Amino acid sequence: CGRWVAASLTKQHHPSSRFSGDSAAPWTPHFDVVVIGGGHAGTEAAAAAARCGSRTLLLTHRVDTIGQMSCNPSFGGIGKGHLMREVDALDGLCCRICDQSGVHYKVLNRRKGPAVWGLRAQIDRKLYKQNMQKEILNTRLLTVQEGAVEDLILTEPEPEHTGKYGVSGVVLGIMATSSQYRRLLSEYGPPSLGYARGTGKSQVPQSKYAEPLAVIEELGKEQERDGEPGTRHRPRRGIVDGSTVYAESVVLTTGTFLRGMIVIGLEMHPAGRLGDQPSIGLARTLEKLGFVVGRLKTGTPPRIAKESINFSILNKQTPDNPSIPFSFINETVWIKPEDQLPCYLTHTNPQVDEIVLENLHLNCHVKETTRGPRYCPSIESKVLRFPNRIHQVWLEPEGMDSELIYPQGLSVTLPAELQEKMITCIRGLEKAKMIQPGYGVQYDYLDPRQITPSLETHLVQRLFFAGQINGTTGYEEAAAQGVIAGINASLRVRHKPPFVISRTEGYIGVLIDDLTTLGTNEPYRMFTSRAEFRLSLRPDNADSRLTFRGYKEAGCVSQQRYERATWMKSSLEEGISVLKSIEFSSSKWKNLIPEASISSGKSLPLRALDVLKYEEVDIELLAKAVPEPLKEYTKCRELAERLKIEATYESVLFHQQQEIKEVQRDEALQLPKDLDYLTLRDVSLSREVREKLHFSRPQTIGAASRIPGVTPAAIINLLRFVKTTQQRQAAMDRLPKTDQRLCNTDKLEDRQL
Amino acid sequence: PCTRQGSGAPAPGSGATIFALSSGQGRCGIAVIRTSGPASGQALRSLTAPRDLPPARKACLRLLSDPRSEEPLDRALVLWFPGPQSFTGEDCAEFHVHGGPAVVSGVLQALGEFTRRAFAHGKLSLTEVEGLADLIHAETEAQRRQALRQLDGELSHLCRGWAETLTKANSNLTPYVGLDLGTLRGRFLCDHTIHPSLPQALAHVEAYIDFGEDDNLEEGVLDQADSEVRELEERLLSPIKLEQADLILAMLDASDLASASSCNFLDTVVIPAGAGSPNGSSQRLLLVLNKSDLLPAGGLDPSPDLPPHLLLSCLTGEGLDGFLEALRKELAALCGDPSTGPPLLTRARHQHHLQGCLDALGHYKQAKDLALAAEALRVARGHLTRITGGGGTEEILDIIFRDFCVG
Repeated sequence: CGRWVAASLTKQHHPSSRFSGDSAAPWTPHFDVVVIGGGHAGTEAAAAAARCGSRTLLLTHRVDTIGQMSCNPSFGGIGKGHLMREVDALDGLCCRICDQSGVHYKVLNRRKGPAVWGLRAQIDRKLYKQNMQKEILNTRLLTVQEGAVEDLILTEPEPEHTGKYGVSGVVLGIMATSSQYRRLLSEYGPPSLGYARGTGKSQVPQSKYAEPLAVIEELGKEQERDGEPGTRHRPRRGIVDGSTVYAESVVLTTGTFLRGMIVIGLEMHPAGRLGDQPSIGLARTLEKLGFVVGRLKTGTPPRIAKESINFSILNKQTPDNPSIPFSFINETVWIKPEDQLPCYLTHTNPQVDEIVLENLHLNCHVKETTRGPRYCPSIESKVLRFPNRIHQVWLEPEGMDSELIYPQGLSVTLPAELQEKMITCIRGLEKAKMIQPGYGVQYDYLDPRQITPSLETHLVQRLFFAGQINGTTGYEEAAAQGVIAGINASLRVRHKPPFVISRTEGYIGVLIDDLTTLGTNEPYRMFTSRAEFRLSLRPDNADSRLTFRGYKEAGCVSQQRYERATWMKSSLEEGISVLKSIEFSSSKWKNLIPEASISSGKSLPLRALDVLKYEEVDIELLAKAVPEPLKEYTKCRELAERLKIEATYESVLFHQQQEIKEVQRDEALQLPKDLDYLTLRDVSLSREVREKLHFSRPQTIGAASRIPGVTPAAIINLLRFVKTTQQRQAAMDRLPKTDQRLCNTDKLEDRQL
Repeated sequence: PCTRQGSGAPAPGSGATIFALSSGQGRCGIAVIRTSGPASGQALRSLTAPRDLPPARKACLRLLSDPRSEEPLDRALVLWFPGPQSFTGEDCAEFHVHGGPAVVSGVLQALGEFTRRAFAHGKLSLTEVEGLADLIHAETEAQRRQALRQLDGELSHLCRGWAETLTKANSNLTPYVGLDLGTLRGRFLCDHTIHPSLPQALAHVEAYIDFGEDDNLEEGVLDQADSEVRELEERLLSPIKLEQADLILAMLDASDLASASSCNFLDTVVIPAGAGSPNGSSQRLLLVLNKSDLLPAGGLDPSPDLPPHLLLSCLTGEGLDGFLEALRKELAALCGDPSTGPPLLTRARHQHHLQGCLDALGHYKQAKDLALAAEALRVARGHLTRITGGGGTEEILDIIFRDFCVG
């Protein structure tokens, strides 16, 4: 039982930890779901699978890095906040943890319409990690174990599903002691704003590691002095050698660990473990199985000592008052606005440009950017693409008692001494002390067109991918995939249909549909521009879109949340119908609410709902004019706000609803999962279309029609084919099924285990 | 003769509705498309909306339009045979459309669209898609347009309209009319396939929504979007400029050719147009000399400088037939040439979408909520891309990240 040592060790660490009956019993390493990786995708996946009722194991390199915010000390934002609300609607963790861990809550886009409000907060890294670990270690049915995965255990595929192989567990590798630079990566590691695809293949002589290693070693010391996690007592690694864990479903959330390389200046160093690195083993296995692998780049800014910054000459940004919580189930956040920390704004200047441009030859991360992302994540890309401009740099606190400041917008991979030089030419940072240099990370990702909308791989049955491994960037994007992968890993074990969110239902649907049908060649990040139905997919109504489905179809939603969402839904419906029923002439409204700019020219009566559309009118004002029955709706602040938002978008939503229905109809038309587009004879499709369909394997006519290059004619052909197949299938079903079996035996011969 | 009988004989009462081209394969005068099955009435209604079913077994002229895009497809004779008094015993409909593979495929495609919807509703069982796909595969939208643009009747109809305008303008003759075919604007947009204003404006608003907290964006981004919207509106509303016109109808007072203004007009407009533009393409020009009734009995003084022209009297109507014939020929040549761009009949479609675009731009200007403003621009763009093609999210993101340093 020695190999399962972590559980008891972490117990000491978290006296409140309570393990489920499963984990307290003698260790039989057999689970319903195994989640690999304790990052933002992994924690959500593990917790979701457990909420759904599956015995779940979370395998992580180190328990004390669970919930690590590896890059920016913030959560949410425009588009990203939308994703978080949807994760919360499915009872995911990140919103609730953020409501307990933030140090500066601010809703972005306040002036631009509630459909695009972006909930955001600066988060205390330490608190977030603590709260997340507390949550994860106290989740029923969820066991946490330290270990590194070396390989997958493959089995024969189930004949009733597509896929060449099945997975039945994982092989654990040898855990080496951590090296300094690896810790650097896991503490402050792969940030969310990416650089693009690079080759990352250039090998540098061993001696060249000297410099970054020195820097990094230095950093390790700094951290220990800071009392950051580095100094904390760490549970001993469970040394597990080639042992196995069996599981029905496996969720892979390895982030940037697949063949990760750290880059500073001209130096590159493997970011995984020493020796025969487990993540390399896993990467090899995935490649050998036939997964198409790509490479992406990402980077992180240097960290600056707080006390060395002259904040007095900088623009101060104060948090919202009152703070708006992330989670639907919270009324408030844990901290009062006046106790929260400010952020400061400063800007780059021509001197910064100069340092970047003069030293491009010392910057291999930038040099290698053969095809950059379209957005500008690093200071180098900003300077190169938009010369002679100043760029903003936000100075963000890393936590309540952290001595570090995170300069958002200053991600850089120059050699360390040049970074320091660059920092000190910025206003307010003249005397700044750099505690840790910025650096780049290059890593493998798996082309997400190889997974289904439930995040299961086409190739290996019951193997799921979530997070950065799919080419996304950002905690929120990772969390969103995590919750979906966890739910589906559990549903799959219980032989239930997959839980898929359509792009008409949520940003999660947009994210996953974009990834699985279009793939990505830059770190994929959510923008509200990506959502066609932006006016319907709002942060305020994520619960009415997803909570009921989560409760009924997946079982991932608590009773309490379900009841709350139900109450809110019926109150909203009732409120809207009441508002529709109150009708007066416009002149009467004008008298009742003189504040509103109602034009009295219209002869038609106006409904209260129409009056509520005016920018300056809210429920409060309406209720003053018509106390009965509207007074009732001012009591709950959230309800009042949501009624106002519903009124704002009512007329446009009516039109959008038609469009949504059209899209949903196309999505209801399922394509057979086992179609072999390349050899399909009875259907007239061009070679190009065949290859595109073959690679993306769209599950519905709707998804197929969004693949670029798949023509309307091809779609009609597919429809016709599906129909004739169905008829033939119906006829076949009346015959004994011998040929089906044969077919699968053929497939088995191709396997190489 | 039945050259193609769609999906084979349906079993009576099977519930499926089928349709097929039953005569008129290839280029021909008239092609007949038949549908048979319980959804025939619905199909007929959806293609001839907003009109109701014609009386049973009576040929009626109807404008067929695509049920989704509302784009006109053809003016066709339609017949309605409610079952059981029909050739199959089921409800049947017949569409007698103008022949040619492209027109036919346009209508079949619309029926296919109807079919798909009906299928999605669970009302049809998809056998009706038989025989449709390969037709669609081969015949493109462009070919359909090409066929349509040769429709003689429409041309004469247009000519008559213009003639009317001209007659009304009788006394104070406009020196020239830049013929606004409606399509010309569409063509103008097509020519600049990626017409920058709208995607640009949309990208600016989207950038402001997604990256508004970046102070590189705060200032002026929306003003820029507003000015782009204004520019687009102006472009859509402005009369076609002379140099953009496909055909210039130049009209002068025959009795006043010696005047300075007439000479100037001849020199600056008529002669250059005839000479052709630097890039080699010469503009079509029809020179009409009106008020021929005022000319002395001997007619016009022979003038060596005067290009070929027609004489017309709007007052007496003399020369009007000749003028109309000449105009018709010019237009036929203009629209019959596949290289000249959008055909005459897409006029209605273009106007529909341009109007939709203009309406949406109006909504944009009224919207206070930025998300609503962006939605209006998205709708406007949707209309324009129906004319110009293109139009994905990626295009907008490309513009955002090209124009702004954000991320």
